[in-house]
Amino acid sequence: MSSIAKVLREDFEGYPHGHITSAGKVCVTLFNYPGLQAVLVYRFGRYLYVRRHTVWWWPALVLGAPLYALAALFVRKCYDIRLLMSAKIGPGLALGHFGGIEIQNCCLGERCCIGHQAKVGSADNPEGPQIGAGVWIGAHARILLPVKVGDGATIAPGARVTRNVPKQSLVVGDPARIVSRSYNNKEILLPGD
Amino acid sequence: MWSEFCADVSLYSALRCPGAGRVRRALNCAHSRGLFVLTVQRLNRYYSEERRRSGWTLQTIALRVLIGIGRAVAIVAAKCDVAASSVIGAGVYLSDYGHLILGPKCVGSGTVIHSRVTMGVRAGSDIRPAIGENVWIGPDCIIYGELTVGDGATILPGTVLSMSVPPRAVAAGNPATIIRRDFDNTGLRRTLACDIDRNEVAPT
Repeated sequence: MSSIAKVLREDFEGYPHGHITSAGKVCVTLFNYPGLQAVLVYRFGRYLYVRRHTVWWWPALVLGAPLYALAALFVRKCYDIRLLMSAKIGPGLALGHFGGIEIQNCCLGERCCIGHQAKVGSADNPEGPQIGAGVWIGAHARILLPVKVGDGATIAPGARVTRNVPKQSLVVGDPARIVSRSYNNKEILLPGD
Repeated sequence: MWSEFCADVSLYSALRCPGAGRVRRALNCAHSRGLFVLTVQRLNRYYSEERRRSGWTLQTIALRVLIGIGRAVAIVAAKCDVAASSVIGAGVYLSDYGHLILGPKCVGSGTVIHSRVTMGVRAGSDIRPAIGENVWIGPDCIIYGELTVGDGATILPGTVLSMSVPPRAVAAGNPATIIRRDFDNTGLRRTLACDIDRNEVAPT
């Protein structure tokens, strides 16, 4: 139980003023950031999904699955954010805005930051991209092929990644090319503190 | 603000139902999502100025509630969010298909913005782009950073723009380049078609 609480705490801390101090603050942060609502719904679904083969979780699944389906439908229809169960997302995902976000069939590291209209992983390729920790993915970026993106890499807005990206590098353009191999993205990841 | 709204309505009805009667035009504008988003932004801007000038009054409290509801509806129905700080000129067309995240410094009058367009700051800075008058911006464009788009410029679909564009020029590509210097986009701005034949705008 403590591990899921830690994951949720990290999710909140990806946003400005996101430190969990009071219930009121949690509500305000949740209301202000549709991306955070989507991530919470994903965490709930994923928590049940990874336990689907354990028999003593089945009563909870019967109750939880329709609840998840409703919440996911709300997020998809209202904000157009699709975080599918086939994606494996590390703690502390921050979605900057809303609209057109699709994350599926991929593996995301911790403390990633993803802009709106970004597409990570595609439905017709079950082994999707492997993305490291602390990666900043700009708006309208597309990572559809099974590539490896190293820790701390930065994908510029509008980039279409077709090849592996080394860690700490900055890629730009369509198709993406490496512009810098030592780019520090600590400042542009949404502020934790 | 009323005159700006009237200019918006006449532009929307000219684009969406050219040559229709008054009632049909009014109905057409009433269910236009882009016009709704634009009107909420204009109200939001008026509210933030009023709030700075006279603090919390009965009028500003009522506006605050109205704008809160309006923005939520704009997000849910059109997936649009337009920053309150941006100065938007009279008679601007925002696409009805939505997915717009706009935070420009200013947008000149007569500009047409298609769907899935993003305008905003470069990450880690807070200087916003300035868009001139009569600009045509195609779908799937990203415009960010400290730049000026000149009057009458054309941004082709799918452009990622992070540098200034001179007046009446055509920008395209990812990253963007100027592909033509002098192009008249009046014909483009008269219709809602957003698929352009690239040969038409290619350098002659």
